Amino acid sequence: MPPTTTRRTRRRTLRQILGGVRRRARRAAGRARRIWRRSLQLQVVTSTLVISVIVVVVLGTFLSDQINNSVIERRQQSAASDASADRLRIADALSRHEDDQSKPAEAGKTVPPDPLDEVMDAIIGSGGDGSKKRYEVLILNVAEPGQSRASGNVTPADVPPALRQKLQRQVEKFIDTPQRFTDRIQFAGETQPRQTLVIGAVISAYGGYEVYHFFPFTDEEQMLSNVRLAIVVVGFGLVLLLAAIAYLVTRQVVSPVRLARQAAERLAAGKLDERLKVRGEDDLARLATSFNEMAANLALKIHQLEELSQVQRQFVSDVSHELRTPLTTVRMAADLLYDAREDFEPMASRSAELMQAQLERFESMLADLLEISRYDAGAATLDLDSVDLRDVVLRAIADSEALAERHSTRFELRLPNEPCMAEIDNRRVERILRNLLFNAIEHGEGRDIVVTVGADRDAVAVAVRDHGIGLKGGEDTLVFDRFWRADPSRARTIGGTGLGLAISREDATLHGGWLQAWGQPGEGSQFRLTLPRRAGIDLKGSPLPLVPPEIEMRRTWRGQMTPVLLPATGDGGAHGES
Amino acid sequence: MARANRLCAAAAAAVLALSGCAVIPVGGPFPIEEAGSGDSVTVPFQRLVAVEPQRGWSAQQVVEGLQAAMAAYADDPGILPKYLTEEARRVWKADGPVTVIDNGFRFDDVVENKEKKETIVTILGTKIAQINEDDTYVPVDPADDNKVSRAITLVKDRNGDYRVNLLPQGLLLTDADVRRAYRPTNLYYLNGTAAGTHEPDRLVADRVRLRIKATESFAETVVERVIQGPTSALQGAVGNEFPAGARVLSIRSSEDRVIINLAGPFRPSDTFREGLEAQLRASLSVNGLANGRSLEIQVEGEPFFSTGPLIVPANLPERWLAVEDRQVFYTSKGAVHLLGNDGEGRPLAGPAGQPGETYSGFAVSKDRDRVAARSTEGGIWVTRHAADGRWQQSIPGEKLTDPSWHRDGSLWTYDQQSGSVLRSYPSVSRGPEHVAAPALQGLDVTSLRMSRDGVRVAVLVGKKQVQVGALAGGGAGAMLSNFQTLISAEGEDEIRDIAWSDGEHLLVLVRTKAGQVVKEINVGDGETLQLPTTSKPLEHLAAQGDVILATTEDGNEILEYGRDKQTWAPKPATAVEKPIFALG
Repeated sequence: MPPTTTRRTRRRTLRQILGGVRRRARRAAGRARRIWRRSLQLQVVTSTLVISVIVVVVLGTFLSDQINNSVIERRQQSAASDASADRLRIADALSRHEDDQSKPAEAGKTVPPDPLDEVMDAIIGSGGDGSKKRYEVLILNVAEPGQSRASGNVTPADVPPALRQKLQRQVEKFIDTPQRFTDRIQFAGETQPRQTLVIGAVISAYGGYEVYHFFPFTDEEQMLSNVRLAIVVVGFGLVLLLAAIAYLVTRQVVSPVRLARQAAERLAAGKLDERLKVRGEDDLARLATSFNEMAANLALKIHQLEELSQVQRQFVSDVSHELRTPLTTVRMAADLLYDAREDFEPMASRSAELMQAQLERFESMLADLLEISRYDAGAATLDLDSVDLRDVVLRAIADSEALAERHSTRFELRLPNEPCMAEIDNRRVERILRNLLFNAIEHGEGRDIVVTVGADRDAVAVAVRDHGIGLKGGEDTLVFDRFWRADPSRARTIGGTGLGLAISREDATLHGGWLQAWGQPGEGSQFRLTLPRRAGIDLKGSPLPLVPPEIEMRRTWRGQMTPVLLPATGDGGAHGES
Repeated sequence: MARANRLCAAAAAAVLALSGCAVIPVGGPFPIEEAGSGDSVTVPFQRLVAVEPQRGWSAQQVVEGLQAAMAAYADDPGILPKYLTEEARRVWKADGPVTVIDNGFRFDDVVENKEKKETIVTILGTKIAQINEDDTYVPVDPADDNKVSRAITLVKDRNGDYRVNLLPQGLLLTDADVRRAYRPTNLYYLNGTAAGTHEPDRLVADRVRLRIKATESFAETVVERVIQGPTSALQGAVGNEFPAGARVLSIRSSEDRVIINLAGPFRPSDTFREGLEAQLRASLSVNGLANGRSLEIQVEGEPFFSTGPLIVPANLPERWLAVEDRQVFYTSKGAVHLLGNDGEGRPLAGPAGQPGETYSGFAVSKDRDRVAARSTEGGIWVTRHAADGRWQQSIPGEKLTDPSWHRDGSLWTYDQQSGSVLRSYPSVSRGPEHVAAPALQGLDVTSLRMSRDGVRVAVLVGKKQVQVGALAGGGAGAMLSNFQTLISAEGEDEIRDIAWSDGEHLLVLVRTKAGQVVKEINVGDGETLQLPTTSKPLEHLAAQGDVILATTEDGNEILEYGRDKQTWAPKPATAVEKPIFALG
């Protein structure tokens, strides 16, 4: 069904797009959150912005409201007073009108102008003697013909119906309170409606004249809109100004703090001569002074400790060197005694053998001490060569086979088919492997030792797994300490010096590689050596896992079945593990 | 001391701070910009609002309502038909001249014709004027019978309410209606066309009554009417720089400028710019519109000229309307004199200043360079105003009226013998020639005066009637036409003299039984201002703008009318026969 397929494809694409967008948004949000968390200045400026916006909006609304009310109220009052004055004049004119109508017309006599016309002329200034008014007037009397007047372009249709109805209801109740009504009215000949205040009242005494005043609010509307615009502009400016002030102020405070942080970071990275500039005498200057004093004291102490350590290392080195000469003599004498042991008494013969054995151990210990003091002195160098790691492993196993046989231990080799070429110092790597194998034989309690070799594009690795007593929590790092022993009561059976793993770790580090240990009580332990394929490359991961796969699988299985029963210990990785 | 100084400084700071905090700052004087008084293109006016006929109105009330609806017809034509029956609606038309009756009209007794089921209400009043379709306001000659009786027939509709079934055609308004909704307005045109022999140099007022429209500004109404062209009185006699078919799109007023947006077939390159400017400026300013503001003329929102806008300055250049020559001349013992500033007169140089009895009816030309007079030997004679000048006959004839100069240098008179109007050009020794004046055929014209703008002509017929016409056409096609009666003398009254004061006002001296009357009449709408009389009998009149001079019949002195004091005051010159101004 092709359509279904197409639809499904499209849906998937859309979902992918949405997913992409979501991912990007999440990433951007994360980045923003990170920037927000890390920048004190941003936090202060943002808080100031938010608070000042709230304050400005509240104040602006209040201010605008106040101005609106006062302007409109004032205009309404003046309009009401104008309208009231006009109504009085109109009422007066209407009373004269009544009088005129009651008199009989005299033939041949000049007829006086209509009082309604006169009063309208007076009100709107059309008679020539009045000033031009800003408002329009409508006098409406629908009951009498010819008694309605209007100024300008107002018509009876412009009166809001609600206002007219209200006035008519009032008339029925004999009330003559003026009413006002504000509306947008489009007058004849105008293209758009205008905000207009209409004040209406009924002069009921002379036959129901309705008087409406139309006051345009155009000017007020314009003024208020200008005021509102000004408030918005000023408010916006104020917010920006406050943000700028907050930015400057926090910058004054945060910049020295930031400098102090950077200096502390550099100090932590070992640059002990890092100092802060001290300007002025304020709190920040005092902070800088204290920081500088702290750094100076720290540098002094570290220097002293370094010197002490140097003295100690020199002492060890000197002692080792000095011991070699007498040891050589003692060794020659011992060799003679050993070679002639068969001629001795059994007791003396046994003593000669013991002496020979201890002398050998002493010699190798001395060699290890010298090796480690070379590391301490920074004199160790690599003799790199491109070799197949599998060959190195096989050689180390061959060297260890005699010892393994003595411990009834068998090796299980897991080597890849392809060559695992790497630029390494053959001698040092072989020594590392030998150390690891001896160590595994010693603690393997006769069980099989699994040696695995792995490689990927950037790195090669060897893992040596034993099934002995294992390591307790925290011991996976301690094992590499000099002269460390898991159980001090336990005797060294294969004559280790206690420096083997320490030297191995130094060797691995010298290659730019890792030497890591994993172990659990009762589960045995595993040591993993990871080396870069080419010297100088930073390792990003290891081709082999630190935790043996069977342990990992068991742990996963347990985790799925009974998560509550998870062991509290981690995998013990001292370095980051991929 | 230091403490006192500190206190003073603190006080000064406090005063400064407080003055800064004052709600309205005090201080000054500061110069302020002149601001216009708001909207300058509208005029305040009131309208009568018509209401629909109400239930239960009497027949007279319905007619009153009908009349109010007529007054409001131009603003709201929808109300009036509601007063009419179907038939009346079909028959009645609002077109035609508007009849204006006085405010004292009354209703005659209501007549009910039960047979025809009709009610007749008659309006009885006095017709005072008529507003023609070209907006001219023609007052009714008081000598005519001006009683008006309009019978209006009403019938009852199916609801029993009265409706008008029969009424005379056209609108009938009262004087109050006209005063309310109409404004006397001067429209200005040019005294010629730019294409003619003489470039126009004066504005000619055309008086109309314009109805104020609620839906447009009065300035728009005025400009639209100017564009429409002159009234019948000046038809063909004046020039209009607005092309036929032009119209006003909008007129907007700002603080210092009024923007007039026009549309139509304007051709800026062919337009006589100064004339157009003067027409607009005068037509607005004289009617109290756009005063003190410059005018910007646009065509469909674009600048008038392709090179830039046409801005009309706030003030009209003086030459278009102002008085050109205020010099007073007078005749004494047959010689023309100049009246000096000190009140002493001196005779003119040349033969016109020589005393004698041969010449009379003197007239001074536009630039005072020639003097014309009627000779006892017959004909009109002209001399240059120079020591070496000499009298030369310009128009021969036995019974000619006193000569009158036209501003183009032509000399005009009426030959009573042949009943024709004669014209000559003394400066180029041309003429005399006949000028067609069909309206004057067979009339006893005793005086013919050309107005100073050269457009209007006033003739005195006998001693009873003054007619005003206009000089239409130019060159050989010139014709005096559009004559209308301006004033007629009643009963035994006599019109003794006429004189133009400016282009639109004519002074008429009427001798009545009781004495004499000097009337200043607006030739446009007949509006008459009667000047206060003097006990001294007046013989001749002369006027130039605001200055009105007269000579007395017996005392041989010049009297000047003071408009402020409204009295006639004698001027120093004595033994005066007749005052004269150039032209007029």
